[in-house]
Amino acid sequence: MPRQYDQLFETVRQNIPEVDVHDLKSALDQADAKPVIIDVRERDEWEQGHVPGARFIPRGFLEMRVEEQVPEKDQPVYLYCAGGVRSIFAAQSLQQLGYTHAMSVSGGFGSWKDAGYPFDIPRQWTPDQRQRYSRHFLIPEVGEDGQGKLLDASVLLIGAGGLGSPAALYLAAAGVGKLGIVDSDEVDLSNLQRQIVHSTSRVGEPKTESARTFIGDLNPDVEVVGIQERLTADNVIELVRDYDIVVNGADNFATRYLLNDACVVLNKPIVDGSIFRFEGQVTVYQPGEGPCYRCLFPEPPPADLAPT
Amino acid sequence: MLPGVIGILQATEAIKLILGQGEPLIGRLLTFDALESNFRVLRVGRDKECPACSESASLDEAKVREMDYQVSCLLSIAGD
Repeated sequence: MPRQYDQLFETVRQNIPEVDVHDLKSALDQADAKPVIIDVRERDEWEQGHVPGARFIPRGFLEMRVEEQVPEKDQPVYLYCAGGVRSIFAAQSLQQLGYTHAMSVSGGFGSWKDAGYPFDIPRQWTPDQRQRYSRHFLIPEVGEDGQGKLLDASVLLIGAGGLGSPAALYLAAAGVGKLGIVDSDEVDLSNLQRQIVHSTSRVGEPKTESARTFIGDLNPDVEVVGIQERLTADNVIELVRDYDIVVNGADNFATRYLLNDACVVLNKPIVDGSIFRFEGQVTVYQPGEGPCYRCLFPEPPPADLAPT
Repeated sequence: MLPGVIGILQATEAIKLILGQGEPLIGRLLTFDALESNFRVLRVGRDKECPACSESASLDEAKVREMDYQVSCLLSIAGD
């Protein structure tokens, strides 16, 4: 006696367009428009590997989450699971939600792998990381992909002072994987009114060490590289070369020009900040895309006019 | 307090660059006047004759290493 399930499956299947993995591959290879691909498997299956560019919405949450992630209902949506069964029912649900081109990929991820097509293995998060970055995971602009980018990124901070302190703390809290901190000074009591990465108990310590202590406690995922040196023409190229982005908190003109020139040569963006009394400024110098510091300030001001 | 505001704006810009999200402050200068509680954005453009980043600039690693920025930050477009 046939199971009712088999009848149900066949009935549903008749109304669902099916494509094979080769169709999916050619859709992926079309350069102009990225197809919408939804992986409806469970998390442990997803973590073993998935079709590149696919979104992960497990079958159990599909109806609840899909309209948020895929608002346009008249575009093609490719659904796949492990073998092409769950995706049939998933496609039926999408049809009921008003999606006009929901398709099931027959053979699913198993056939995709068998065909030798490339797949991505998502980053594995520890339970602590899942909790630590849970708010980021919920923001569409960050998500797990974005958090991965943050952890893979490196930022060189020039100065662990007034600007560098809060910048370092927030970058570390957000999970930027590597922070280089260039500062040759030691912590002074007069710094503590604004340089919040340091503390009373660490007065007299090198600022790089003081910052490392605080950041290590805040987020152990972050590698802190302390560079207890002045930034000079001799070391700037080697230092900047190792990082993706430079955040400048230096307060003198010589360092600004030096850093600018090195970043223009090495094609690295500078996030620049400065403060004078009760006014502050922020801009980004991205070589080739916008002005550099010298475009705005071709010449340093005379020494007696320069604010300190 | 002001360094906190500016430093965190810098961190925000860095995060945007890493994520590739939003409109970073490239070619725009954001100013914050704490006494007036005022943010302003000024557009800033490239200098076609910039000695560092224009087409005709001849800046390279060797030149950066040779310069004595403590003595003079002046850079000429021609090279030396």
